Amino acid sequence: MVISRKRFRRSLRNLAPTIFVGVVLTYLFAPVIVTVLFSFTTSPRLSLPIEGFTLEWYKSAFGNPLFIDATRNTLILAFVSAIVAVLFGTSFAFGITSLKGRRRSIALTGSLLPAAIPALVLGISMAVFFSSIGSTQGLINAAIGHAVLSMPFVILTMNARLETFDFTTLEAARDLGASPLQTFRDITLPLIRTAVIGAGLLAVALSLDEFVVTWFNIGNEMTIPILIWGLLRRGIDPSINALASVVLVSLIIIVTVSNRLTNRTEK
Amino acid sequence: MNNGAATRRLLLPGSTLYVIFFAIPLAILGLYSFWTQVDFKMHPGFTLEHYHAVLTTSLYRSVFLRTIIVAILTSIIVVPIAYILSYIMQFVFPRKGRILFDIILVSMFSGYLVRIYAWRTILGKEGLLNAALIQLRIITKPITFLIFSNWSIAITLVGLLIPLALLPISSSMVNVSKDHLEVAEDLGSRGLKMHRTILIPMVLPGISTAFAISFILAAGDFVVPRMVGGTNGVMVGNLIADQFKGLAPNWPLGAALAISVLAILIAIHSVTMRLIREFTRW
Repeated sequence: MVISRKRFRRSLRNLAPTIFVGVVLTYLFAPVIVTVLFSFTTSPRLSLPIEGFTLEWYKSAFGNPLFIDATRNTLILAFVSAIVAVLFGTSFAFGITSLKGRRRSIALTGSLLPAAIPALVLGISMAVFFSSIGSTQGLINAAIGHAVLSMPFVILTMNARLETFDFTTLEAARDLGASPLQTFRDITLPLIRTAVIGAGLLAVALSLDEFVVTWFNIGNEMTIPILIWGLLRRGIDPSINALASVVLVSLIIIVTVSNRLTNRTEK
Repeated sequence: MNNGAATRRLLLPGSTLYVIFFAIPLAILGLYSFWTQVDFKMHPGFTLEHYHAVLTTSLYRSVFLRTIIVAILTSIIVVPIAYILSYIMQFVFPRKGRILFDIILVSMFSGYLVRIYAWRTILGKEGLLNAALIQLRIITKPITFLIFSNWSIAITLVGLLIPLALLPISSSMVNVSKDHLEVAEDLGSRGLKMHRTILIPMVLPGISTAFAISFILAAGDFVVPRMVGGTNGVMVGNLIADQFKGLAPNWPLGAALAISVLAILIAIHSVTMRLIREFTRW
């Protein structure tokens, strides 16, 4: 009886935090749930109880003549920008590890700046820059923009991984006569592989969802977020929800996998 | 690995990318804010007319003021929520904290445009919230102040920014152990006093970063006001975007607006940090 009363008191004390977490999660995920729900209902307006489920909106989303183009460009952007961000970001994170004190924190803070200013300012400054060197807007410009946007996240992820990285194994390998290339291929890479893949997936997720920088730099090319934006401005079209749900599900899968990988500490 | 040349080689590609595609573009944006534009052509020079316009045009002044109010409103909602969440995750439900963190992180990547649009579906006059409240007979007429107002902008921004504010706060709270708090409580700092005198000062760097991030991103957003802000819901982001993508683009003016926003953001941020430090001094 004593135990149960204790437990009761504890669960009472945990009540407020539980409610708080529940409210915040509802708040964060309400838009997600609404989007997915409405992608399956016949009426774009709400009527309770909800009746009439349909796949009509998915058909019209995939049937949009711009859909194929948009998907292709979105994937190209995600792939190219993630590779650039991962290569440059990982290298940068390794560079930071051998800096000390003030220089280290300056390098780290500086590398996070693109994530700390509004994407709008980043987007317009790049558009201004590209036009000043006479480059026409297009996929390449947008890909560079995405890479710059993703770099801070890759650097943060890799920096966290390298904090627990045992650099003496590298010295040991070198002492035993391995070339720098061999050391990297046989020791470093296997040790950081999952973190690198995790960071890469994060960069892919950022790029798939990116709208602002893309919009100012891509010219007339189409991506999925640009397509969604176009549809949104034309008014209520339930195929937006279908399109969005597809993106949502891919993003959630990618981010979950990425998160799993970066949290796993390999030995 | 520990020599300077190798370090420089490792830092070089990333730094080069940053300098060419981040620092130089920002510098050019700053430069353009002093130039003029005649018939869609840029003319080099040095004029302060755009900054003068930013300071004296009443439309711009009211939009700036409104942007600052919305951004402050958003951040003072977001940062405490993120702080409490972070505290709960680490000290109240330590075992479930990790999974909770992951779930919240996932929401950060659940579609920027779509989440904004969904809030319109939820908050609108014929939206989900009104429909539910009417069905439950809590209200008889739809609430209209929720959509196309500063409120809808703030509500939407808060949802977008909670995960981003959570990241820096929880990463600085990780360094605080439960022992710290227990000692504090034994010494008589309980409840709110413990937060004010112990925990908040200890995680102040994280709070400061969270405040800066939410303030800057809220003040710089143009999609949220465009989609849920209605006709009166113009924020500085919209003014800037229109100078680049609107019907009558004016790059130098847009550049001056953007630079002014950045300057105001930095100023407000430093004042706020002062205030937080005052408040938490013991």
